[in-house]
Amino acid sequence: MRELNYRDALKEAMAEEMRRDPRVFVMGEEVGYYQGAYKVTRGLLEEFGPERVVDTPIAEAGFAGVGVGAAMTGLRPVIEFMTWNFSLVAFDQIVNNAAKMYQMSAGQYRVPIVFRGPNASARQVGAQHSHCVSPFYTNVPGLIVAYPSTPRDAKGLLKTAIRDDNPVVFLEGETLYGVKGEVPDENADETIPFGKARIAREGKHVTIVTWGRPVHTVLEVANKLAGEGIECEVIDPRTLRPLDHASIVESVKKTNRCVVVHEHWEYGGPGAEIVDRVQRDAFDYLDAPVLRATNLDVPMPYAAHLENEVIVGPARVEDAIRKVLYL
Amino acid sequence: MAKIAGLPKLSPTMEEGTLARWAKKEGDEIGIDDLVAEIETDKATMEWRSFDKTTLLKILVPEGATLKPDQPVAIFGQKGEDITALIAQAGGAAAPSASAAPSASASASASASASASASAAPSASPSPSPSATSPGRIAASPVVRKIARERSIDLGSVKGSGPHGRIIKRDVDGAPSASAPEAPQATPVAAAPRQLGVRLPSTSVKLTQMRKTIARRLTESKQNVPHFYLTIDVDAGPLVEARKLINADLEKQKEKVSVNDLLIKACAVALRRVPAVNASFTPEALVFHQVVDISVAVAVPDGLLTPVVRDADQLGVLAISKTVRDLASRAKDKKLKPEEMTGGTFSISNLGMFGIEQFAAVINPPEGAILAVGVVREEPVVKDGAVVPGQRLRMTLSCDHRVVDGAVGAEFLSVLKRLVESPVTLLV
Repeated sequence: MRELNYRDALKEAMAEEMRRDPRVFVMGEEVGYYQGAYKVTRGLLEEFGPERVVDTPIAEAGFAGVGVGAAMTGLRPVIEFMTWNFSLVAFDQIVNNAAKMYQMSAGQYRVPIVFRGPNASARQVGAQHSHCVSPFYTNVPGLIVAYPSTPRDAKGLLKTAIRDDNPVVFLEGETLYGVKGEVPDENADETIPFGKARIAREGKHVTIVTWGRPVHTVLEVANKLAGEGIECEVIDPRTLRPLDHASIVESVKKTNRCVVVHEHWEYGGPGAEIVDRVQRDAFDYLDAPVLRATNLDVPMPYAAHLENEVIVGPARVEDAIRKVLYL
Repeated sequence: MAKIAGLPKLSPTMEEGTLARWAKKEGDEIGIDDLVAEIETDKATMEWRSFDKTTLLKILVPEGATLKPDQPVAIFGQKGEDITALIAQAGGAAAPSASAAPSASASASASASASASASAAPSASPSPSPSATSPGRIAASPVVRKIARERSIDLGSVKGSGPHGRIIKRDVDGAPSASAPEAPQATPVAAAPRQLGVRLPSTSVKLTQMRKTIARRLTESKQNVPHFYLTIDVDAGPLVEARKLINADLEKQKEKVSVNDLLIKACAVALRRVPAVNASFTPEALVFHQVVDISVAVAVPDGLLTPVVRDADQLGVLAISKTVRDLASRAKDKKLKPEEMTGGTFSISNLGMFGIEQFAAVINPPEGAILAVGVVREEPVVKDGAVVPGQRLRMTLSCDHRVVDGAVGAEFLSVLKRLVESPVTLLV
């Protein structure tokens, strides 16, 4: 299978869906002439023209709202936030309009919209530009939240997101854009369903649930520990809402131990949600309390060495695994 | 008005029961006929269902606790009622056996102080828990408690290697550790390869209710019932042939019968013809049974059960076969009702499938006799002065001499032999 990076996998997903369905269009800051702040929309303006690749002013609440309206009236917008940090000024549009319109209109309006963009720390961009927004959006019924960790998942999930009739919050790892991986070619038209986890590595001693950037950190640690005879099972839920609860519980029943690794703050969020479900549905199978390795509970520092301390890294992951194995 | 509920007596012979599982939790509202808990009796795991609409206010004993009937297990009443007095009262009344399950070993002193721990069943002996953080309670992970329940391991005798002495999986089954991740899952009886000369300790497995019942009843039988044994060797050829014909006929229905099913039928008919064997001894009188209800010994994972085929003399062989299969499969799942395992008038035990030629079975009181059936042997026999291939079957009747005398038992066996050797007469 050919190799592609995460950035181009996303671009291909959008281009293929735009060719397939004339209702699909892309809108956001710098998506057109500048080819995307992270070059994810490279080439789209040339192929599809300014009517379908729309540059906007710096006005997230405005263009998110325009997107919701366009979706309600029959188009299928893909709204790019330059980073998910800026979605916070469009929070009302996403949470109050996109997520609720279907219910509040008694089913008269569907909102088939995708909000996408880079999420979490991009290294030294400061406290306001380093959010992992997954806890904010996973809390909202009516939203789907996807967070792919590989190029293949990025492409397959984005195609599913564009075809889905519900609003999708599509989180991309800001430091994953250059990551390469195998991706089926265009003819394959591969879509990846929501709510279906990927077993990134099979193992029998401990279940590690993780998604986004930390999947790569965890796999690195798992490879190292395999040398000591510790077999980690790594599960990437791929979508945080809906969550593939069954696969996680099934795995914990096998291993009796679970570590959840994530780059959002420890307080609440999908990480805590997973721990809750494991304690509830695999209670009789646990041999140790479920542990988490997460970013530290502080606003992200700017200084590189401090930021390194705050972001969940291999040392903290390894430490949690050893603890949960009573080593 | 809140009240204390005692352990219900769910089988006529239940002398103690183990609270296997709470189906409700504290604060749950309970409707009429709702499942409250599952209770392991001497016979089966029984459902305890509510007769009232009520609320479960307080659970007094943890899962795994073994108690006598009527010992306090829970407090029911209306939401918000003050039950502190009842809890204190129940704490005094409750005195579960020392064999109470691991989680039930709150120490006697703990039960006297805080009401929360007072609700846990106090054990007869102080807890041996090595836990530093919570004296009196054994610290064990949930999966360990599950394993302990399933294998009846007394956690009080296990030393925990986890934090604060917590018992973790590797302490009870040699779960993988980093240095030996491939370590085999040792069970109490597994014979793992080991170095010669290394002394390994024996493993104690807590008695299950079934094991206690087997021990008690069979000891009673062997001590009180004067057994004697009669063995007869019969030509099994006609029976094997009859089975073949029956099964060929049943093939379209995808059904078949076993030699044992035919023997049940033959015994049932023989009991009709020799009713003196279908009888029980009581101190006042001999009791002759009007029905022929045959108990069939069924091996189950941790013991044996004797479900009863009712009116076996009235049933056809296929009906007997279906009944036995249904009873046996439910016996293995512990889903038999007590009334399905009591009230037999005669027993059959068959160990032929293990190649056993003959054996003597222990009588299942109050029945008067039990038939032990061996394997059908292919061997040379003398027929009309010539040696020919034959099929022989040996059966041993254990009789309670108080009710079945030697001649009566012998007559029964000779009738049974005639029936087995010409199975067509079973049709009569």
